[in-house]
Amino acid sequence: MSARSNETTETPRAPRSSGSRLIDLFSGFGLATVLLLLLALLTWFATLEQIDNGLHQTLRKYFHWKAWWLLPEIKGRLVPLPLPGGYWVCALLFVNLLLGGVIRIRKGWKHSGNLISHLGILMLLVAGGVAHHASERGNMPVREGEMNNAAEDYFEYVIEIAEIRDGKPASVQVVRGRHIDDLRDGRQRLLRLPGLPFDLEAASYLANALPVSVRERAPARGELVCDGYYLMERPEEVNAEANAAACYVRVVRRDGSKDAPFILAGASFHPLTVRDGDRMFTIDMRKRLWPMPFTVKLDRFTAEFHPGTMKPAKFVSRVTRIQGADEVGVTIQMNEPMRHEGLTFYQASYGPPGAGPGQELYSVFEVVKNPADQWPAYSLYIVSFGMLVTFLIKLGGYIASRSRKSPTYG
Amino acid sequence: MTGRAACLIACVALVSSCGKDDRERVVGESRPLTTHDEKPVKLGATSDERFRDAKPAPVRGKTPEGWLELPASQFRLLNYRFGESGMGEVWVTIASGGVADNVNRWLGQFGKAPIDAASVAAMERITVAGSEGVWVEAAGEYASGMGAPPKPGFALAGVVATIDAGILTVKMVGPEAEVAAAKSVLREFAAGLELAR
Repeated sequence: MSARSNETTETPRAPRSSGSRLIDLFSGFGLATVLLLLLALLTWFATLEQIDNGLHQTLRKYFHWKAWWLLPEIKGRLVPLPLPGGYWVCALLFVNLLLGGVIRIRKGWKHSGNLISHLGILMLLVAGGVAHHASERGNMPVREGEMNNAAEDYFEYVIEIAEIRDGKPASVQVVRGRHIDDLRDGRQRLLRLPGLPFDLEAASYLANALPVSVRERAPARGELVCDGYYLMERPEEVNAEANAAACYVRVVRRDGSKDAPFILAGASFHPLTVRDGDRMFTIDMRKRLWPMPFTVKLDRFTAEFHPGTMKPAKFVSRVTRIQGADEVGVTIQMNEPMRHEGLTFYQASYGPPGAGPGQELYSVFEVVKNPADQWPAYSLYIVSFGMLVTFLIKLGGYIASRSRKSPTYG
Repeated sequence: MTGRAACLIACVALVSSCGKDDRERVVGESRPLTTHDEKPVKLGATSDERFRDAKPAPVRGKTPEGWLELPASQFRLLNYRFGESGMGEVWVTIASGGVADNVNRWLGQFGKAPIDAASVAAMERITVAGSEGVWVEAAGEYASGMGAPPKPGFALAGVVATIDAGILTVKMVGPEAEVAAAKSVLREFAAGLELAR
């Protein structure tokens, strides 16, 4: 071996930049393994925790983008194991897979299957992100022979101010939940309502509360009493849909004067009526209505129950979808939703709660608007195709190598 | 340097505007009318109507001394509490069905066997709101059938009468001793009920 060749082999490598090291770290198998383990842990803890704390609350705690880190809680006891939020673990996994599994992966037709599979997984992660940020969900109950063209949000309580003409709402202004749901501990906010002859001042929002009469029970914590009622805070329900929000509100007239405060509660039967000169308004708190671009008429609802029980075996809704002059008959049943105009109607349940055979029932649809609705299915097709390509390439290679090695006769 | 100063000023402005936003917001969102808006709206509802769905009562009563008048509700035209335990309740309703149906429903809540029309006809009669009604009593384990757990040691006293608007019931339920002590007051209360004209 020549001196020159020795010199060549012993030349030290140029020091790697911190940027390259960072990319090495973010694209490495080590990080991918840690992230997948973390996802498994998060899923396991969330599954256990949702038993006690409810699905909605647990999903928010574990997978909301605002949850950077969390401490799991099992049967009311905190587990001293800080974990990163699931959203950010998925985001990091996306970066890891993009760098390691797409950009830096060995290229060439032999690796094309892996590349396709990785792209499929990336699409799945993107679908999760899009659903997290852009999807909407609500429910829509409809009785036989009746029509409905608005779903109701599962969780968000809003204040609605309707101007009444001829005994009916003529226009409705909405104060979304995000404008009031942070008004805890006596905080208040002036809600300016352009186009209306008054504004509202909202205070002391409670996620779950009941209006209680002072004749039933005296206020225990000095709560504000309005017309003989006050708001009694209740612990939030495990099933978050069952929460009934409430707050105190007062009307602020354009001359700056304020009316007496009143209670707005999700758990109320009728709205409050407010007059301003000749104009009449109702103010109510309710779950947000989500208008649909078409009307659904329930023609027939059938429920089959397991013999001798109140457990439903199958329920089917035959509906007419009415959009302008078009009327289309559609059957919605379990695993056969109606998809139209980017909305998906699932047969979710029926009512009234606990109803059984022989009772008059109504159908309840879950309405979902998710731009990434079908992306998980597409991504699974892509992953499967990628794996098939990998398998076929390996199989082809194996057969070729066997045929090269096999002895020739004759 | 100028860039940093501008950035600092922008941050301060942003923080101060956040504070203002916290106390006051302009809310201009509206929604189109839906099928939900076609339902009749109850205008000028009182707090009892808003929070208890109370209906104008077709009967009026004078609250006996020691009873606590509660807000009326969807199913209770007049609603009271009585007794030291705070568990005694009296309420007046307009019910569906017949006299015998309601008597048997009440008895059923205490696990008693239903009685026939002849037995109902033989029951003690008292005057309620100007009409004649049957006086019902039962004791034992009270199961209201509304999902509440059964209450042992309870008793019932009440009247079921037919009036123009349907079946008028005056029902007292509570701990056995408290019901026994308040029965005479209930009779006076029932007799003093008046129909709103």
